Amino acid sequence: MGSVLQLLFTGLGIGAVYALVALGFVLIFRATNVVNFAQGEFSMVAAYLMVVFAVDLGWPYWLSFLLSLGGMAILGAIFNLGVYYPLRNRSFLPVIISTIGASIFLANTVLALYGPQPQVLPGWFDAPGIQLGQVYLDSQYLLIIAVTILLVAFQYWFFEHTLLGKKLQATSQDKEMAALLGIPVATMIMITFVYSAVLGGIAGILVAPVLFVSIQMGSTIALKAFAATIIGGFGDVAGAIVGGLALGIIETFGAAYISVPFKDAFAFLVLILFLAFRPQGLFGERVAEKA
Amino acid sequence: MNLTRRSVTAGLVAGVAMPAVLRSALGQSAPIRIGMVLPVTGPAADSGKYALTGAKIALDRVNKGGGVLSRQVELVTEDDQTTNPGAVLAFSKLAAQSDIVAFLGSIRSTQNHAMAPDILKTAKPVCFGGTDPALTKLGNPWLFRFRPNDSYSGRVIAEYGIETLGKKNWALVHSTDAFGTGGAKALSGSLDKVGAKIAIDQGYPNQSQDFTPVVLAIKSSGADVIGSYFTFDNDLAIFARQLRQLGVTIPWVGSASIIVAGAVKLAGPALYGTYGVADYAVDASPESREFAKLYGAVSNVAPDNYSSWTYDAIGVLCAAIAKAGDTDPDKVRAAILATQGYKGAEGEYNFDQFGDGLHGYNIVRNEKGSIVFDKHIEFTD
Repeated sequence: MGSVLQLLFTGLGIGAVYALVALGFVLIFRATNVVNFAQGEFSMVAAYLMVVFAVDLGWPYWLSFLLSLGGMAILGAIFNLGVYYPLRNRSFLPVIISTIGASIFLANTVLALYGPQPQVLPGWFDAPGIQLGQVYLDSQYLLIIAVTILLVAFQYWFFEHTLLGKKLQATSQDKEMAALLGIPVATMIMITFVYSAVLGGIAGILVAPVLFVSIQMGSTIALKAFAATIIGGFGDVAGAIVGGLALGIIETFGAAYISVPFKDAFAFLVLILFLAFRPQGLFGERVAEKA
Repeated sequence: MNLTRRSVTAGLVAGVAMPAVLRSALGQSAPIRIGMVLPVTGPAADSGKYALTGAKIALDRVNKGGGVLSRQVELVTEDDQTTNPGAVLAFSKLAAQSDIVAFLGSIRSTQNHAMAPDILKTAKPVCFGGTDPALTKLGNPWLFRFRPNDSYSGRVIAEYGIETLGKKNWALVHSTDAFGTGGAKALSGSLDKVGAKIAIDQGYPNQSQDFTPVVLAIKSSGADVIGSYFTFDNDLAIFARQLRQLGVTIPWVGSASIIVAGAVKLAGPALYGTYGVADYAVDASPESREFAKLYGAVSNVAPDNYSSWTYDAIGVLCAAIAKAGDTDPDKVRAAILATQGYKGAEGEYNFDQFGDGLHGYNIVRNEKGSIVFDKHIEFTD
């Protein structure tokens, strides 16, 4: 029983990270109809910013956290202006390629500036974890799960109970109608990119003490998060959360009870099954085109 | 001077021929070029930096001593992106340059396997650091290994764990790539020969983010010692930390990756008290100490096997070219195979017919972050 609980805790922890990154995918997709393949690199850049502020400069952790997220907000704005906005009236393919280019650019810029060695980022808490009976609760994973719950609650309140949130929803549902109703669509999209960058940054800073800070950390998480959004239903916020958590649990239990070498395969096997039998995902709407 | 047809023709011929004559005259002092495939990008980019540093230290030493055959030696590098396709592309770019006389391949066995067919076609010597024993048994005459292969590391891990630590119930943890699979096979073969028990043989895919299932499996197996073959530092560090978090304290004797600078830094206290087979150990010999001194002068990171094998490879290669008196590939190959008693940072090189230069390993211990030399185990069979 102890092993099952341990696996469940770890699966939820890593699943929560996938969920946070998946949320970023979904938000940008809903606003712009485009998948942002640099979402993983947002996580990576934020983690490196934390290393610079908290480790290299030795500033207080909370201050470094706020400054890193501030940096991510700026990066999100620049990303919108440089990568999406010039191509906003083109089809989805140029924009996707542009985000892939941005992903490679960000990774290699950090490599050139900081070098290739993985870095250690301390966790938020001094105590590495708590032993609860047979289960060891890594304090960083506890924080990841708690922050994910808080962010989901915040997001629900923001989108459903604030005017700005409703304007963002309106923009994501129908840009043209939103513009006709006087909603500044370009500003709403800018806010979406900034928020997604900050969200990705939070995910990166939370997971960095567990996975270490490296150039590849973003792409490793993003691939699984992308699968999670498809499983949850592309474009659905609840789906991104459930898909991420489910993916974390599936791959952890799959590794423990079936095969560790095929751990990564389970995630993509589930993805293939969903694409084959339920392409709209868990919460998405089935969309069909009539001839 | 009268401009006659004859004088103009003579002038034209001289003008066309002169560059070729100059090239021929200057060709004697054109540098000897050695190609090097290394990771500049990808998960192993940090190790690529160390490999280049080691090679450059050796190169500077050779060139300060007058070079080889009165020519300076130059390194030409290409990024393998830490991937097999990247390594093949990098090698092909270098191989297309006909003036490159020999190459330094990868420390990663999987990449050397990927490059092997092109290496055979290029027919020039390639020095490599990968330890999968199969690499020198491919029937490829151009591959020369500059680290002891895993048939030796497996025997040393088994011998040390059983004879010195007195442990006979083993948990094997290894990457599922060529290095990890080859190493685990070598270790399990050595354990079977001495009648030790393998409680669990657990492979994992590279760049796993979580090792909880592996650690729980080790805990429930009843093993009293761990033998490991990890490829990447971050995987090893995450495993080490989760091992300690879940209360596993049995002795651990790992392949060389357990004591490289990157892993020691990332894992911190989680690796204290562990043992590793190390082809390179600072205090193993006067030559290894000298290399550490040279390395310390140019880097603030401790030297490890990422840099020591490239340092030795350049040294042996240049000595072989000098002995051959020529850069002809067949002559250089013969000279490398004839190299006996060359004392390098990794140990004493005595090349066998298969292209393996080293036949033993050091055992070192992680003493609170410092890597301390324990003993050297050499095989003559």
